Amino acid sequence: MPPSAVISAKAQPMRTLTLAMAVMCYLATLALGALMLIEAAVSQWVSGMASEATVEVRQLSGSDLEAETHKALAILASTPGVSSARALGSEDVSALLEPWLGASPALAELPLPRLISVSLDSKVPPDLARLEKRLIADVKGASLDTHLLWQSQFTRAASTLRSLSLAILALIALSATALVIFATRSVLDANRGVIEVLHLVGADDGFIARAVKTRFLRSSFVAGLLGTLGGLLTFAALGLVGEKGDSGLSAATADLLIAAPSVAVATYAVFLIVPVAATLLSMVTAHLAVLRQLQQS
Amino acid sequence: MLKLVRLENIGLKYGTGPEILRDVSFALEKGSFSFLTGPSGAGKSSLLKLLFLSLRPTRGLISLFGRDIASLRRSELPSLRRRIGVVFQDFKLIDHMSAFDNVALPLRAAGRRPESYRGDVMELLHWVGLKAYAHMLPPALSGGEKQRLAIARAVVAKPELLLADEPTGNVDPALAERLLRLFHELNRFGTTVLIATHDPNLLKDARLEVLRLEKGQLH
Repeated sequence: MPPSAVISAKAQPMRTLTLAMAVMCYLATLALGALMLIEAAVSQWVSGMASEATVEVRQLSGSDLEAETHKALAILASTPGVSSARALGSEDVSALLEPWLGASPALAELPLPRLISVSLDSKVPPDLARLEKRLIADVKGASLDTHLLWQSQFTRAASTLRSLSLAILALIALSATALVIFATRSVLDANRGVIEVLHLVGADDGFIARAVKTRFLRSSFVAGLLGTLGGLLTFAALGLVGEKGDSGLSAATADLLIAAPSVAVATYAVFLIVPVAATLLSMVTAHLAVLRQLQQS
Repeated sequence: MLKLVRLENIGLKYGTGPEILRDVSFALEKGSFSFLTGPSGAGKSSLLKLLFLSLRPTRGLISLFGRDIASLRRSELPSLRRRIGVVFQDFKLIDHMSAFDNVALPLRAAGRRPESYRGDVMELLHWVGLKAYAHMLPPALSGGEKQRLAIARAVVAKPELLLADEPTGNVDPALAERLLRLFHELNRFGTTVLIATHDPNLLKDARLEVLRLEKGQLH
């Protein structure tokens, strides 16, 4: 039978610490999950944007819109790195305008531009600057929209969200450290009798620090597992409540957790960082805090 | 003979109160067996606290194992305390640890592995009549059993100096006799023993040195 723990599991404030650490780990899991969702969405959306472009051919006085559109299609077909190009019909363009202008028959009267949806080879993308120059020079009323503005705005917004998630994680770690320091002091205060006996039987500060650290290790690991499990259950619930085919948060969460084994294993491994980090943070902080406290006593 | 313990003109007071101990001077030779006696409140427990380094004197010199304790660094205290076994009047057992683990605590603190001391601890528990209680927690034990447990913990590491504060206060005369024999046995193997008591039965042996403390002074 292994020797009894020197600091009791029932000692104050171990239960409170376990509860508070579990909440910290739950919040850390949510922040980490949010960070992973942001990363997944950013890489998916940016790669989608990077592989698409739109050519707009406007009606200019004296120009034949159909002929100019065909010229643009020919240029696109001869450009290396362009996978495909498809001119949208006037119905498609009207449908794109409908949310703003309504389904008015007057739409058919407007001189709507022709749009060409261009798919780019993301592995060997074309020289977009050169393509744009060629289109402007050879096709009357043509312009190339590479979605760069959208992409940069989106990347900036994603980067802000990413920084926010990391800041939240850092704040949680800081709060957890403060919590452990406070709990260590309380443990030493609440177990003053035990600490006195340990000193009197010849235990050095290192022995006492190890005893407290061992107790914190157990409590933090249990708290870490509980908090992380709670966080995962929250994400699972979020993934399950959304409608199938939904492209929102629910679908993204479901994709993250119920993905192919290779992706899911990596996801769960990242979540496992939470209890491991909580345990390590707790042990190191408790050890140093005990040594400091004992040396000051 | 080598003086294991030496006190010179020791004075002790708590805070700004009166002196509990005044001009106490004595020495214990290595391997000696002595009693410290006196009425309640005479300062016996305070004197023992000075000897097991729980208190520092207000004045005077205390030398333990040839070291002036005033010159000891904090980091040196554990190794010195491991050479001293103490039986506390209030036992100072750890309630959430089994009887076995309470007795083994000084060995654990000294860095011994459980497999290296299991036999020794069980043998000692057998000697003090508590082998069957090895896995019980102190709150489940009677006063006498707790006292025997405290004695077992004090002697388990075969200390060079054993200090006991009323070690037979809660046991019947037969068991007191048996525990005293344990102290004598330890003393025979070289442990210096100092027992604080006002039990007249323990003081019967006229061959042993008796230090009488009254109103904070040795007589």
